[in-house]
Amino acid sequence: MTLDRDAIKVAIRAQVIKLANALGMDASEIGDDDIIPATGFLDSTAILELVVWYEQTYELPLRQDEINIDNLGSINAMTEFLLARKAAATARTA
Amino acid sequence: MPHPLHVPRVNNNDDQVTIVEVAVKEGDFVKRGQIVGAVETDKAVLEVEAERDGYVLKILGRLKEQAAVGSVLLWLGEKADDKVPTEVGGARAPVASQARGRPTAGARARLKELGLRAEEIPAAGERLTEKDIEAWLANQERSVAKTQDVAPPAEQRERAPDVAGEFQDLSPEEHGMMTTVLWHRDQAAAGYIEIEYDPRPWEDHAKRYADANRLLMSPLMPLMAFRLVEIAASTPRINCAIVDKRRYQYGPVNLGFTVQAGQMLYLTVVRGASQLDATRFIETMGDIQRRAMAHKLAPNEMSGATIAFTSMARWNVSRHVPILPPQTGLIVAHSAPRGSGKAVLGASYDHRLLSGFEVVQVLQALAQPPKPSSGEKA
Repeated sequence: MTLDRDAIKVAIRAQVIKLANALGMDASEIGDDDIIPATGFLDSTAILELVVWYEQTYELPLRQDEINIDNLGSINAMTEFLLARKAAATARTA
Repeated sequence: MPHPLHVPRVNNNDDQVTIVEVAVKEGDFVKRGQIVGAVETDKAVLEVEAERDGYVLKILGRLKEQAAVGSVLLWLGEKADDKVPTEVGGARAPVASQARGRPTAGARARLKELGLRAEEIPAAGERLTEKDIEAWLANQERSVAKTQDVAPPAEQRERAPDVAGEFQDLSPEEHGMMTTVLWHRDQAAAGYIEIEYDPRPWEDHAKRYADANRLLMSPLMPLMAFRLVEIAASTPRINCAIVDKRRYQYGPVNLGFTVQAGQMLYLTVVRGASQLDATRFIETMGDIQRRAMAHKLAPNEMSGATIAFTSMARWNVSRHVPILPPQTGLIVAHSAPRGSGKAVLGASYDHRLLSGFEVVQVLQALAQPPKPSSGEKA
């Protein structure tokens, strides 16, 4: 899987919009730095679904203490956390 | 291992049925639910379904013949070469023959008294006699008694709909749901009570907690579930079940919590919940919820609930009467209709165990967030 920053953002945004749609919400205007829980587009269960999708899509198992607002609170935060974790993993195996 | 498929009962009044179709032959492999034949009385025709997958080892019922309800129609085996038990397998269904001559006057009176027809009863001689009728009745009683011993009551089996379709096996989760619902219906004496409460104190408490712990998801439901755990720990009577007509007092508080994962509804379980503080409880519940969403739960995370909590607030329902999980005495349901400014706590409870007053006390305690000293960071 190619870890392109822009492609990751597009994919996360699409997933947020899809999950919001299921709740009857239109999240198409969500900004990359918007705090996802604060937007009201997703409830707790939908955010949990977003996290599970994120783990499975990017093969990134998370510890419970990593699931916080600082690491995963926005599209940008999720993107940067993913890139950082993958870079660290690559460095360890190099 | 061979399994018998018995001649089903069509209605309460007929202990004999006529085999009008045999749709399989020996050696065939049949699927559970597949129609293997049909029987009829003068009132109805009933298709006979295989109760399990298997090979047809031996067919004892014969087309157009009468057979006693509960007798063996055919034998199914898990393997094609399973042996049919000889002591019972060879015994054909009792088949009635017809009386050959006119009934005697005494027999006619007896038939009228019993509401029977002469054609139903075999005669030993040229004419049907009262003795023949009494012998036949005695045989029927033995037949019915045997049926009750060896065959599941046919009346409890549901007929396939008269609409084209096919049987499909339930998934383990669907089977679990069926077990839960049937336990609620058949084992518990379920009552339901609900109260309305002001949701703002809980919402404020959850927000403070989330801000203090930098949480991504609102901890409102986990915190309310944890409050129920605290109440159960301090009020052991609600952490019980009635088992075999006796109170079974649970030691640990194992909190059951429903998780909707796509089309699947799991009752996840945090074991030993009262041994955890709020932070650890929320982490544990979050971890289990995440694995439920990914359909990767361990068996012990889906069993052993001693008390339960569920919420349908995300679906904006105003009332939610929950089903008691097997061997629990109480499940609390949370609802919060959007825009109403109110929330509802409802409880299904086993009335053999708890009174309505006790349940109301639980709900009233749960409607209030804990005091800040209860071990949370907020």
